[in-house]
Amino acid sequence: MAVVLPAVVEELLSEMAAAVQESARIPDEYLLSLKFLFGSSATQALDLVDRQSITLISSPSGRRVYQVLGSSGKTYTCLASCHYCSCPAFAFSVLRKSDSILCKHLLAVYLSQVMRTCQQLSVSDKQLTDILLMEKKQEA
Amino acid sequence: MAETLRRVLTRGGAVWSGENTPAAGPPLLLLGTPGSGKTALLFAAALEAAGEGQGPVLFLTRSPLQSMPRGAGTTLDPMRLQKIRFQYPPSTQELFRLLCSAHEAPGPAPSLLLLDGLEEYLAEDPEPQEAAYLIALLLDTAAHFSHRLGPGRDCGLMVALQTQEEADSGDVLHLALLQRYFPAQCWLQPDAPGPGEHGLRACLEPGGLGPRTEWWVTFRSDGEMMIAPWPTQAGDPSSGKGSSSGGQP
Repeated sequence: MAVVLPAVVEELLSEMAAAVQESARIPDEYLLSLKFLFGSSATQALDLVDRQSITLISSPSGRRVYQVLGSSGKTYTCLASCHYCSCPAFAFSVLRKSDSILCKHLLAVYLSQVMRTCQQLSVSDKQLTDILLMEKKQEA
Repeated sequence: MAETLRRVLTRGGAVWSGENTPAAGPPLLLLGTPGSGKTALLFAAALEAAGEGQGPVLFLTRSPLQSMPRGAGTTLDPMRLQKIRFQYPPSTQELFRLLCSAHEAPGPAPSLLLLDGLEEYLAEDPEPQEAAYLIALLLDTAAHFSHRLGPGRDCGLMVALQTQEEADSGDVLHLALLQRYFPAQCWLQPDAPGPGEHGLRACLEPGGLGPRTEWWVTFRSDGEMMIAPWPTQAGDPSSGKGSSSGGQP
């Protein structure tokens, strides 16, 4: 899809992915860049990755959705295809005020993709529909 | 998606002959006041995308079209029409259900997803968080269709939203949200470049680095849609790049 992150973030993530493939860890200079771009969200996102809080749910259709278990114990749904997270911070800081690019959950999703540390869960097509619909019901 | 609309507009409504598989371009938001020709352009885009070797097209709208949109006119090809699948989710809840279960639908994945009358669905469920999830699901559904189409092929997304002459604060909020997810926008304005002429001005902002382009769209009495580049600002209207759409290669 054409909805993209700012080029600087895309570039950082792809450089990090290459570095992780080489040395199986994120070099310090990239951690500093993350901190520079995302402030405290960077540390919180890395913490979510460390705690393996990110689950990639996929169904035989090939459709995928991420769920992130937040520090409060609540689970949030992230659509990586279009940079969407169901958390209140995303609704407020990213969508409403536009003073952040991403919330910590979405950043954690992208970092877990880079570090290849997502938990994987396969569900049926019908179950995936229910997961996507449940998100709507929770909001209501 | 902006590319499909650009092809509709630059070809002056002439049907696309399918020499190559075109890229869909970024998701596009079509904006205009009531009666500004949004449905006609969506339908023209549907016919364009249902060309040879392409399609199918999924056209979502709250209620069935009462008549053929203007501009469908004389170029209507039944083979193309057959490739357009209309679905009429009657409520926001049903639209959510359709999008959330799009991966369960059998058959080939659409190469274009169209939604007419987004404002009707947003009006029913006006919370910004709900609106954001609905829009994100539209994009996610198109992304899933792209995935199913395979490498090198994308499912385009084009959504029409009715704007009011005087926007209230809720509309402004929705619009800011939509512009975030739809980098490409096309504004339609009823306009008349000369006395006795009626038509609409279509202004395409393709997003990214692409140039803004404007067209002048009129509908002939037989329903045919006529499209010409908007005359340049510099005074002489005949100095525009082309005088009529029909002569474009």
